Amino acid sequence: MSEKWIYWFEELSTADNDLVGKKCANLGEMSRLGLKVPPGFAVSVNGYERFMAESGAGEQIRRYVTENRHLLDKVEFQVQAGRQIREFIESKEMPKAMREELQDRYTDLCARLGMEDVPVAVRSSGAVSMPGQMETYLNVVGRREVTRMVIRVWGSAFTTRAIAFRLEQGMEMEKAPIGVAVLKMVNAKCAGVCLTVLPTIGDTSKVVVEGNWGLGESVVSGEITPDQFIVDKEQGEYECVLGDKTKMVCYHPGGVCFSEVPHEKRCIPCLEEPELKEIVRVAKDVEAHFKVPQDMEWVIDSDLSFPENVFWVQTRPAKYVKKKENNSEYLAELMSRVFKM
Amino acid sequence: MKVYDVVPGLEFDPERDLAQSPAWFLDGTHSVPPWTPMFGWFWINFCRHGMQWGAEKLSLPTVKGWDWRFMNGGGYLTLLLVNSEEEKQRREGEFRKAILPFIQDYDGLWGGFVKEILSRYGTLKKLDLDKASNIELLDNFEETIDTCRRMWEIHMYMMYGTYTAYILFENMCRDLAGIDDTSPTFHRVVSGFDNKVFQVDRRLWEFAQRAMKDGLADTISKTDPPEIRQELEKTDKGRAYMKDFMAFMNEDGWRMQRMSEMNLPTWVEDPAPALGMVKQFIAKGGGFNLDEERTKIAKERQEAEKELMGKVPAEQRGWFEQLMRLAQKSGIFSEEHDHYLDLYTHAMMRRSALGLGRRFVKLGALDDPEDMFFLIPDEVRRAGINPDQFDLRYIVGRRKADWQEWQKTPNPPAVLAPGFDLDQAMGVLVKSNDPIALKVVVGSMPQVRPELKADLYGTCGSPGVAEGPARVIMNEDELHLVKEGDILVAASTSPSWTPVFSMIKGVVVDRGASLSHAAIVGREYGIPVVMNVFEGTGKIRSGQRIKVDANLGTVYILDK
Repeated sequence: MSEKWIYWFEELSTADNDLVGKKCANLGEMSRLGLKVPPGFAVSVNGYERFMAESGAGEQIRRYVTENRHLLDKVEFQVQAGRQIREFIESKEMPKAMREELQDRYTDLCARLGMEDVPVAVRSSGAVSMPGQMETYLNVVGRREVTRMVIRVWGSAFTTRAIAFRLEQGMEMEKAPIGVAVLKMVNAKCAGVCLTVLPTIGDTSKVVVEGNWGLGESVVSGEITPDQFIVDKEQGEYECVLGDKTKMVCYHPGGVCFSEVPHEKRCIPCLEEPELKEIVRVAKDVEAHFKVPQDMEWVIDSDLSFPENVFWVQTRPAKYVKKKENNSEYLAELMSRVFKM
Repeated sequence: MKVYDVVPGLEFDPERDLAQSPAWFLDGTHSVPPWTPMFGWFWINFCRHGMQWGAEKLSLPTVKGWDWRFMNGGGYLTLLLVNSEEEKQRREGEFRKAILPFIQDYDGLWGGFVKEILSRYGTLKKLDLDKASNIELLDNFEETIDTCRRMWEIHMYMMYGTYTAYILFENMCRDLAGIDDTSPTFHRVVSGFDNKVFQVDRRLWEFAQRAMKDGLADTISKTDPPEIRQELEKTDKGRAYMKDFMAFMNEDGWRMQRMSEMNLPTWVEDPAPALGMVKQFIAKGGGFNLDEERTKIAKERQEAEKELMGKVPAEQRGWFEQLMRLAQKSGIFSEEHDHYLDLYTHAMMRRSALGLGRRFVKLGALDDPEDMFFLIPDEVRRAGINPDQFDLRYIVGRRKADWQEWQKTPNPPAVLAPGFDLDQAMGVLVKSNDPIALKVVVGSMPQVRPELKADLYGTCGSPGVAEGPARVIMNEDELHLVKEGDILVAASTSPSWTPVFSMIKGVVVDRGASLSHAAIVGREYGIPVVMNVFEGTGKIRSGQRIKVDANLGTVYILDK
């Protein structure tokens, strides 16, 4: 029997980072912590390597890279090489044994959820940070499509930037420690981020929740001004600044798109108070577990009822300005202005 | 030059001094009634030195401190402005570095100075004045002079730095949150802190409790403060009580009855004022209302802080909160510096001068130890080592006559060059951006709102509304006239007035700014204070019922 290369998220933890990539390992760790993550599974790095070996794509890439090594430091050629290598990968069928195993797992997932052809998101999950490895395919439906999108994610390891990065780092060209996450699409009523620190000033006594109607992409991408809730960790008191939510990201068969937010929903908060409180409660627990402020992504599923509808898709250490930042010199400067009035 | 200059080199000379600056202001808070010559010498020399030292150490961009002159027992001051733009810019660069210790470790800075100055007092107090040699007495006096000089350096350096932060905080509250320094929310944010002066008051209250437990309350209640000590010492229990009380006085009683003078006894010499406060606490009964008030005010402060922070944009809150914490030190500093610096140093001056004075009397140079206050240090030195060789009575006689003369006519509030009016003079004060001038001396001008039909308009020093009988008090000697529930009306107040704040319902002062004593203490006691009404002591008579609404800055005389 060949090596195991597909895992349910709950089988994983952060120890499996090298095996399934950060995103999957993280989702595994999150579900171990009792966070509700969208149900799904991970395709490990072994799956990628087995595909490369069995499909012949690996050999093809190796040959291509060897032949053109002298050209590879030219940017124009990197663009061409990226396209070519992705073509090598995406044109291959997945070997039968692998395909069946992957598709059966998808069918298992559907069975678990009691649905047929459950829409999923297929996301790259790199074991190391590598630019360009951000490919995500949303609203993927059916056994064949899932297979195709997993291969596409593998191909995305060869974007131009990723190739340049490999050269700079002296990494082997045909290697790509890339995992894939396949998880249920949440039918998002609203979604967004949650930071357990005010990042601009490093105030760790507060939780910031930002959200918009629809999928979280609109909040993460920064294209709209989301609703902002600043919650006091101790008192639980919060203040809400409503964003100008003109657009939201929705999915339609075959992908996602921006659409207009209906007028009556623009000026009401996208979260109800119990949902906000549940998000904050969970976020505080997670922060307490990791002992550092967290940057998390949440989704409220409109198909389920509260509190089963609060899903988490991401948690990682938050980047924020440390509180001991030098306010002193700024204050000294402000004080000197007292004498100018 | 007169032979009898009180402050040689710094006597007011209209011709020369008005050419230097067209406006000289009387320091009405500290030099009314007129100073004794020795006290005036200390103040004019060293307050002046301290202000210039502090302004220079901090490199204040627009002002180099104040210049002072002595005239007929009054202190007259004017500002030393930085004139050229280049110099302002250079000083501003230096200021940004010099102010950092205040921002980075305020408590460490102030605590270090307190330690330093207390250690100086400790050294001075170590000398047994009645057993010391003449040389040791003179040395002690010289060290006292040096201590006073150092005290003023610390005083003004700290005050300039502290109040600059406070002003910035006021400005930022206005700019970021739309709240100005007369708003009740603002006042709640800066009050509710414990400080040394309140701790002393609490000790006095504890002595009142003990008197009741020890069965001494009756004796104290029936006796006039000056006789309480004598009465108590007639019994064993009373003697034990007084022994502990005097131990407390020796620790915390180095304070003057009058803020800025040395011719009245300290609490250590005469505990009558302190025992009088114990008596008042007994009469009042109940708990130490400051504790209850403080808990309430501290809670209100936390709510006000939250309200204020909520109005500040999230990304500005980091430094803003740091600034708020710093500004909150202003009230604590304002009360504590009087205790550790002014009052204590003046008590040391009195102690040392009287020690030498007793020796002068013993050896025939003076008739009365207190006549020392009519000499200046150069004259003291004349007889210092050999008091038996000199007769200083003629100097004292002449000075005392002058001093008595000064008491008869009030000093003018300002001396102005011809063609220069008071409005112009005030304009210069404001333009200087001198933090002390703005926050302690000038304050903001009241808004007259005819629709409110008030008798007097002022600014809010501490929020609230109160109604009660007015008690007009012109100086500290009359403080015992204040009764529970009165509304105090005064020209201004100082730390020796703090204890009456526990009895009164409100305060009206002729002059004041948000960091003057009445405002700070009023906020801590949670009573309304209306400031800058200018003519309160002129228009209101003791016994009239008045209503103060500090939130609106109004005073109503109910029975005219």
